Amino acid sequence: MASDLKPSAARQGLSGWLRRNLFSSWWNTAVSLVLLGLLVTLAARLFQWLIIEAQWAGSGPSACADTTSLCWPFVRARWPQFLYGLYPSEEVWRVNLGLAAGALLGAALAVRRMPARRWIAAFLLLAYPPLAWWLFRGGTGGLTPVETSLWGGFFLTLVVTGSVFWVSLLAGVLLALGRQSRLALLRQACTVWIEFWRAVPVLVLLFVVIIMLPLFLPSNVEIDKLGRAMIAFAILMSTYLAEAVRGGLQSLPTGQYEAARALGLNWRQSRLHVVLPQALAVSLPQITSNFIGLFKETTVLLVIGLFDLLGEVQRAASDPQWLGTGTTAAGYIFVAVFFWTACFCLSRASSRLERRMTRYRAVAI
Amino acid sequence: MRKNSAFWLQCLLGLALVALVVLVFRTTQSNLELLGVQSGFDFLWKKAGFSISQHLIPYTEDSPIWAALAVAILNTLLLAVFCIFLASVLGLVVGIGRLSSNWLVSRLSLAYLELFRNIPVLLQIFFWYYVALRALPSLESSIFITDYLVLNNRGLYFPFIEFGNGFSISPPVMGRFAYEGGFYLMPEFLALWIGLSLYNGSYISEIVRSGFQSVARGQWEAGAALGLKPVTVLRRVAFPQALRAVLPPLTTVYMNMFKATSLAAAIAYPEIVSVFVGTVNNLAGRPVEVMAVTLAFYAGVSFLVAWLMGRWNKRITLRGQ
Repeated sequence: MASDLKPSAARQGLSGWLRRNLFSSWWNTAVSLVLLGLLVTLAARLFQWLIIEAQWAGSGPSACADTTSLCWPFVRARWPQFLYGLYPSEEVWRVNLGLAAGALLGAALAVRRMPARRWIAAFLLLAYPPLAWWLFRGGTGGLTPVETSLWGGFFLTLVVTGSVFWVSLLAGVLLALGRQSRLALLRQACTVWIEFWRAVPVLVLLFVVIIMLPLFLPSNVEIDKLGRAMIAFAILMSTYLAEAVRGGLQSLPTGQYEAARALGLNWRQSRLHVVLPQALAVSLPQITSNFIGLFKETTVLLVIGLFDLLGEVQRAASDPQWLGTGTTAAGYIFVAVFFWTACFCLSRASSRLERRMTRYRAVAI
Repeated sequence: MRKNSAFWLQCLLGLALVALVVLVFRTTQSNLELLGVQSGFDFLWKKAGFSISQHLIPYTEDSPIWAALAVAILNTLLLAVFCIFLASVLGLVVGIGRLSSNWLVSRLSLAYLELFRNIPVLLQIFFWYYVALRALPSLESSIFITDYLVLNNRGLYFPFIEFGNGFSISPPVMGRFAYEGGFYLMPEFLALWIGLSLYNGSYISEIVRSGFQSVARGQWEAGAALGLKPVTVLRRVAFPQALRAVLPPLTTVYMNMFKATSLAAAIAYPEIVSVFVGTVNNLAGRPVEVMAVTLAFYAGVSFLVAWLMGRWNKRITLRGQ
């Protein structure tokens, strides 16, 4: 019987695996050995730099007498600054409360069997952003005002990413629909707007908006620096998202548009109930990758003097008490680990969602 | 009836757009008058009065501002070309590495991709600039990679072809205070070059991998059946077909990389944003004109690249598809 025949020993077990995947030919063997050697050397060197040679003990700047080896006490000492920037410490509970509420709502939304999921989504999209802003900014309702110039660190990164994405998604959908409009003028205007801003780097647009916006507006209207920076981000992000959504719109078979019209739905009804749900599902991978891009791009804020997570690390590392490549490197590694974990998890979650969506679509069609 | 309403809607839209433009224009004008800001492009012919640490064309403090602009544009393009070259090589090697049958090669390629793609590029540039390159030895104990390639914390020195009588190669020579002769890349340039290339190389590797995977298996097998060597199949059969799938997304990455050269402003490499939007804007006090020139430069290059890549793409697409 064929089923009784066992594969040869060379294809089985650990040695079989090694032979197939690492040492299948003399060329492969050579490559594997060289890479293995390099990898071991690199790992040993990194381990030494990150752990053994690094300075762990102590709390003040005196803990890092040697300025060249990694200085972990720096991260520990400046931890609150990395999280909240210069936000007054007695008001920090507001930040914690706002962010925790957002995280809780998001987590509730991720549970598929959640009751009233639709209402949670509506609350998160419509009521939560203005409420959170009011909580952070204060000034009314008995809360002490906190100027946005004091906001910073991880908190600022999240606020900018969240607010910009929130505005841009709406604007992006409108722009994408405008680019498909039967009104030639609207179509052309949207196309020119999108194509022009797509060509401009985010840093340039930040400078343009920061310097030019006050000139464009009447002198009695004033928008603070954070507001202007977010406008710049939103202009770019909405054009990127418009392109992502356009891809989804174009992937829909014309039959869907025709069917919606045959049912007697008007423009608004057909877009809202037929076209957009399908188009957004198709463009979801693009939308999430743009979200991740925005999240990483917020680091550019430090160039214009707003202090996001990387900005706070940079500012703390330029404190004369802590000066040295060891402190800078420790701060960078901390930020890198944070961003890497967040972006990696987000992209994994996105590809899982994508797989679920394709399965759903395959069944639906 | 429908046509009619569309016509009136467009008229309304057009009027609203024109009104908005006029309103913004008027406000800007009155704001500029209020601030006492002059307008016009005549400042481009004034004396610059500042030095630029890297210039590919002759430039001194006495040169006009337009010369400073030209220097900055050339510096931008130099960085972009270097980055596109290195990122493409990295992306090609790692992308093909992902498909390797050698487990270690494909895993290491994946590790490279995941490591560099998920960390903000500005942070990577900072790491190279403030940590890695700072750790390089000083001038006295420079590293000689070869006799002609010298590396220290002031930059990378390499020989340069000099055109005089015929041409000769001039190696970097230790002068009194620094290496002289040859050509050198400043640390700012090196940090941007390494950082941008590693970051965007990870994106290119994904494009290359999916490009090669889009080539049908039968094509590889057919090549092998014809008795071609695996390398020849890769070069002559798979690569030209993969190029079709690769070119459009590759254009996007190249454009992103070109735009990202503006991050140079964060570490003061003298490209267009740091020289023009930074220094010239502060000196000349003509914000509108400075921004207009900068925007026009980026938009112009983008449209030029989009047009060229579009033409190339048209040439290599399969007929009848």
